[in-house]
Amino acid sequence: MFDFMNLVRNENMKIYRRPRTYVMGGLLAGLVLIASLIWLAVSGRDTSMWDVAFFESMLMSGLVTIFVVIVAAASVAEEFSGGTIKLLLIRPWSRSKILLSKYIAVFLYALLMSVVLFASVLLINWLIFGIGNTGIEAAMMPAEAGSGVFVHILKFYGLKFIETIMTLTIAFMLSSMFRSSVLAVGIALFQILIVNNIASLIMFLKQKWVDYVLFIHLDLTQYLSGSGMGIRPGMTLGFSLGVLAVYYVLFMALAWLVFTKRDVAN
Amino acid sequence: MEQPIVQLKNLTKVIGKRKIIDNLSLDVTRGQVFGFLGPNGSGKTTTIRMMVGLISITSGEIFINGLSVKQNFEQAIRHVGAIVENPEMYKYLTGWQNLIHFARMIPGVTEHRVKEIVQMVGLEGRIHDKVKTYSLGMRQRLGVAQAMLHKPGLLILDEPTNGLDPAGIRELRDYLRRLAKEENITVFVSSHLLSEMELMCDQVAIIQNGRLIDIRNLEHGSKGDQAMRVLFEVNAEQPAHAALTARGKQAEMVAPGVVAVFAQREEIAEANEILVSSGVKVYGIRQQVKTLEDQFLEITGGEQRV
Repeated sequence: MFDFMNLVRNENMKIYRRPRTYVMGGLLAGLVLIASLIWLAVSGRDTSMWDVAFFESMLMSGLVTIFVVIVAAASVAEEFSGGTIKLLLIRPWSRSKILLSKYIAVFLYALLMSVVLFASVLLINWLIFGIGNTGIEAAMMPAEAGSGVFVHILKFYGLKFIETIMTLTIAFMLSSMFRSSVLAVGIALFQILIVNNIASLIMFLKQKWVDYVLFIHLDLTQYLSGSGMGIRPGMTLGFSLGVLAVYYVLFMALAWLVFTKRDVAN
Repeated sequence: MEQPIVQLKNLTKVIGKRKIIDNLSLDVTRGQVFGFLGPNGSGKTTTIRMMVGLISITSGEIFINGLSVKQNFEQAIRHVGAIVENPEMYKYLTGWQNLIHFARMIPGVTEHRVKEIVQMVGLEGRIHDKVKTYSLGMRQRLGVAQAMLHKPGLLILDEPTNGLDPAGIRELRDYLRRLAKEENITVFVSSHLLSEMELMCDQVAIIQNGRLIDIRNLEHGSKGDQAMRVLFEVNAEQPAHAALTARGKQAEMVAPGVVAVFAQREEIAEANEILVSSGVKVYGIRQQVKTLEDQFLEITGGEQRV
């Protein structure tokens, strides 16, 4: 039996042999550096690195999602637009496994980009502001300090990562359904840009069904603020995760169904 | 009897309300170049896409090497190399990376084999360049290389001569005939270019509107003692015709200055002698060969669409 990992290696090759992947990574680190330098110019060195790190993380995590969405959408759609799907599917592999290898590759890419942001935010700010320099004690952070700050930012990245994966899955599904990366990126971007506004609008509706709307649950960092309560009364992190899980299964099922069943004709 | 490499059994494909392929049955024996002919829109590409699992089968079965494409896709496809329409590769990767990509997907293809195939298609010099810098001919060759990586028993090519210049077509033709003969690979090739198919194939199937119309063997080389229509170019057709029929030959006047004789090889010389001895001047003698194209138009009635 030969190795499924070969398929993932192939998909990785198609991601990492393209310059755009490195442009995205470089852009993340570069923007973090610029933001920190501006902060330094405005406020001087008398600042907590954690404040800057947290601010930049909030600012840039959307960018990570956008980059990941672009790669996820391209993963399936470009095989169709380039015609290479015809060569890819006529190998001794089921369509499910080929799609799974693609999903794993973009998942790993999402992980990598999150780590790149996390590492550059910590490293750059540590170098610029110094780890020991607490300055005005982490104003943006909740009461906890010291190692608590690190745990807090880790939690933030974990929750953001779930949001990124959800958005990635939506883009992946759209890409598989419509075979158009433009459409997939467009809809996913729309979702990223509009989601907070929609959420903050409909959260005031009294109706029960609003509790099950995807957009209400996407931003899980709402649970980070002290009380652990969501933007709607009675919502908890567990409930949000449950709703997201249901949507996730639905999106994956749709992506799989369409990809494995549909005819590949021009 | 040896099992056919490809068997289509009552193959049918319905898209919407249209029957694209209608109850098509076909056996392809091993080691030959098999031509799959038909006018545009007759269902050639649809059939090929069903053979390689790109589109679903409405009803009927396809067996490759005795394995059902429907039930046993991963096993059946292992012995198949294919180019469906244009060989589109990953343009942002090099030729080598493209081949490694496809090699990884099939068990037992070593790096040594990849090198071997690169040499076989003559791409050594450019294999580490990005595919987007390749010419169409080079992309075709890379396409053949990816299809041959795993030494398939069946090579399926859909309209391989599209976009090739005459030299490229000739090269491809010689190459395919060599593959069939030396490596015992069955080549299943679709085309609407009949004159090319005639030179390339051992056997052809003709389909129209998704139905099989005819299967025929093509012979290469001499036709032996078969009777054929021979055209004599003469100075006056009337006396020529008279002289020939007087001596018991089957002759007809086809055009001013042209007389046709239905004759075997030896009879051609006799007819010539008759003409010369009765004072008719002969300017030319040629066999009238029915090309595949003539036959094809005859069979399909020149009708191209429903």
